[in-house]
Amino acid sequence: MKNILKQLAMLMVLFGVVLNVQATPEEDRELFQRFNQERFPNVPSQEYSFDQAGRENWEAIEEFPPYEPFIDSGQEMWETPFANGKTYKDCFPEGPVIAQNYPRWDKQQGMVVTLALAINQCREANGERPLKYKKGDINDILSYIAFQSRGQKTQVEVPADDPGALAAYEAGKKFYFTRRGQLNFSCASCHLQNSSLNIRSEALSPALGHTTHWPTYRSKWGTVGTLHRRFTGCNKQVRAKPFKAQGEEYRNLEYYLTYMSNGLELNGPGARK
Amino acid sequence: MISKITGIVFSGLIFGMMSGIVSAADTTQAQKAIAAAENAQKKAASVDGEWRDTGKIIKKAKAAQSKGDYAQAVKLANKAERQGELGYEQAHSQEKLQIPSYLK
Repeated sequence: MKNILKQLAMLMVLFGVVLNVQATPEEDRELFQRFNQERFPNVPSQEYSFDQAGRENWEAIEEFPPYEPFIDSGQEMWETPFANGKTYKDCFPEGPVIAQNYPRWDKQQGMVVTLALAINQCREANGERPLKYKKGDINDILSYIAFQSRGQKTQVEVPADDPGALAAYEAGKKFYFTRRGQLNFSCASCHLQNSSLNIRSEALSPALGHTTHWPTYRSKWGTVGTLHRRFTGCNKQVRAKPFKAQGEEYRNLEYYLTYMSNGLELNGPGARK
Repeated sequence: MISKITGIVFSGLIFGMMSGIVSAADTTQAQKAIAAAENAQKKAASVDGEWRDTGKIIKKAKAAQSKGDYAQAVKLANKAERQGELGYEQAHSQEKLQIPSYLK
């Protein structure tokens, strides 16, 4: 009898482990951040980057950052009234220091709303044409808002009163760990498991802090681009067909990924390779 | 001598006819292969498992077909079909969330 009970207990534990009894977002975040900190014990928690030469290059670039004209242009956008006389401030009364409020779960719309999406919803509500989500003017206004929001802490919430929010978070998490494309990599393959290791000539960036510096001037693009533009690029690089910028997949992914960097200061716009 | 010439001409005719018949078969094969590739592509897409290049390869297969290069069209279409199949299998293998062991 004792033996049967013991075996039953073991089976139940095993079953629980196999089922991967669902961790909470907070538990996920602690594990995620601890993993990154243990992997890079000599990097102060708020700092970029794991590579000293990379950091020095970045500091040099920050003296005359290539994203500056985009901030200026974005400020002009922010201050210029729409055709109907209203401005972005009417949509975002606390603006432009608002980057830390996104992405967020919108209970009424039943979906994750990112800053870029909110900007376009504001524009459309005021009779303006929506902006494209990867290239162009969206990067100007995002650069201005990001710059004004520097120093604010990442503070994504998954509200307990709406199961849709947790479902969106879990969908983003699932995306992160799903292998895709001809090269069969997940986001985690490069940015957790193999972070700092070289892929061809470049070092893979660690996942912690991935969302703090968008939009970003990438030397490869020769311009500022959005986080979702980078998502599509990453998916193409593993030879998967990319999803739509600001579609459900990438908004949920942004939701999960930004939550993982909760507590980190925003320091956009960024400059990267 | 005459029978030799007749033989050569006859063989030539047969060979010519066969080439014609093989070309016609290749046209159908190319069409079938491209249709199969498109089906496999749709199947992979239905589970968000489509790969980046599958669509491009199908386009190249169609271009080869319109140029009359049916062998190339079939080769490319088969490659695209295999990508579609693998993408579909991959998506299925990834249905359940799997947290890697290094993150526990």
